[in-house]
Amino acid sequence: MNDLDTIERIKGALGSRIVEMTNPAPGRIFMTVAVEDLVSVMTNLKRDLGFWYLATISGFDKGDAFQILYHFGLEGGNLNVRTQIPKPAGPDGASADKTAPHLPSICAVIPGAILYERELQDMFGIVVDNIPDPRRVVLPDDWPEQNFPLRKDWKFERPPEVIPGGKK
Amino acid sequence: MKFSIPIGPQHPALKEPISLRMTVEGEVIRDADIRLGYNHRGIEKLAEEKTWIQNIYLMERICGICSHSHATCYVQGVEKLMDIVPPKRALYLRFLVAELERVHSHLLWLGVAGHEAGFDTFFMYTWRDREIVMDMLEAISGNRVHYAINTLGGVRRDLDEGLRQKILGQLDILRRRTEYYLKIGANEPTFVARLAGVGKLSKEKAMDLCAVGPTARASDIARDVRRDDPYGIYAETPFEVSTADTCDVLGRVVVRVKELFQCYNLIEFMLKNLPAGEVKVKAPRRAKPGEVVSRYEAPRGGNIHYIVSGGADKPERLKVRAPTLANYPATVEMLKNGFIADIPLIFAAIDPCICCAERTVETVDLRTGEEKVLRFSELRALAKERFDKNPRKGTGLWPF
Repeated sequence: MNDLDTIERIKGALGSRIVEMTNPAPGRIFMTVAVEDLVSVMTNLKRDLGFWYLATISGFDKGDAFQILYHFGLEGGNLNVRTQIPKPAGPDGASADKTAPHLPSICAVIPGAILYERELQDMFGIVVDNIPDPRRVVLPDDWPEQNFPLRKDWKFERPPEVIPGGKK
Repeated sequence: MKFSIPIGPQHPALKEPISLRMTVEGEVIRDADIRLGYNHRGIEKLAEEKTWIQNIYLMERICGICSHSHATCYVQGVEKLMDIVPPKRALYLRFLVAELERVHSHLLWLGVAGHEAGFDTFFMYTWRDREIVMDMLEAISGNRVHYAINTLGGVRRDLDEGLRQKILGQLDILRRRTEYYLKIGANEPTFVARLAGVGKLSKEKAMDLCAVGPTARASDIARDVRRDDPYGIYAETPFEVSTADTCDVLGRVVVRVKELFQCYNLIEFMLKNLPAGEVKVKAPRRAKPGEVVSRYEAPRGGNIHYIVSGGADKPERLKVRAPTLANYPATVEMLKNGFIADIPLIFAAIDPCICCAERTVETVDLRTGEEKVLRFSELRALAKERFDKNPRKGTGLWPF
């Protein structure tokens, strides 16, 4: 299946929900959709077009917004569904839930997405709504709240070393 | 009565830290939970602070078995961002190492599968043969584990004629021995009986849970990045996707053995058609702004890197998804309704390996729904209490 056929099929299934579609390299299709349409787009992609293999979800902190990219592996290439959610103001994501960015969960359609969505929650502080299992996946249980390592404004500071009983 | 048995994160039988929590009813696993993160090293964050060249060596250290996979996946993505095309000979050498790596990884895995099935002779045989491959890799790259052969724009070492002939000669030994393993794998009744029907993963479930690599191919899903989305030289090399339709551990063994033969064919093809010429071109220090998705078929399945460049000498974002992560949801599915004794086998079938259970158990009283974690000492106290209340008749005497 070549890229043009795939693009035609996607356009036929999704219609006006596609905001933008590019094909920068052979076998690489990038498509932008609004975050409100995300779940319905995923449902169409999987049920109607048979795109079952979600390779991963990558988040990217663009400064003023988070870009979320859903990478699908197809027979004959790769489709990347891009969506954006605004990033809350304030250096460290500020006062939790009210301003925390929200993203709908796609686990109801693609159950295999669970670990990637949990990773997004850990690393970017994006709240994934309706996620079946919201526990942490990569960060330790005693990791301080409101610290999201992959946000650009997060810097690692090595805690000062404390020797029990003091130095002799 | 349901028990929840924690295995790991630190366990003598575990090669890597991972925590599994099995809810068992008698000998049957009803539910499994995997807890990750014990080996999280923050590589994606670190990569944003290192230059394009430094990151090759960082990517190589993601894994010790498939080190070349991550390095190659990263390098071919960055080459696209930098708009450089490595010479043909460099690509052939790069993917020669990649296929040799696949051979050593699959031989290692076959050994582990044999060991977990209680067939240690098989384990000794395959690991002996793995040394042949390791020696080849050392002769080509100078290293046994982190080959460090990739660089931006090509490879760092060339292959001479003597070595080429030597590898071709040793390939015959490997091929002969793999045929013997296929014969054993298919005909040894105890081995087949131990593996068949264990760790079932139906095709539909595998698709729902986005399984990759030999795990998916053993569930009759003919997906292989080398064929679906050919990178490097795979568009011009002869090779077939190996699948099995038994959906169990036996199928995963069969897929890997079949893949070994494909690897030998590929290695032979690459060595016989090795083009002449340079092995690298000069790479710029900076990459143009842009983004690239790089895919690679690692021994364990599809590997994907998403690289964003902002125009500097460092990546803006480097996302890595290793194949084992994609297979965890499928593993939970495989473990359900299996036996405790099958845990190591099923887990080994995707690659990490777990043996026996630990010494703390969480007891759930089904009548009251009360959950409690008991230490071994408490368990012993309970047993002692019970024993003291019900003394056996006729105290046994030590015979000597």
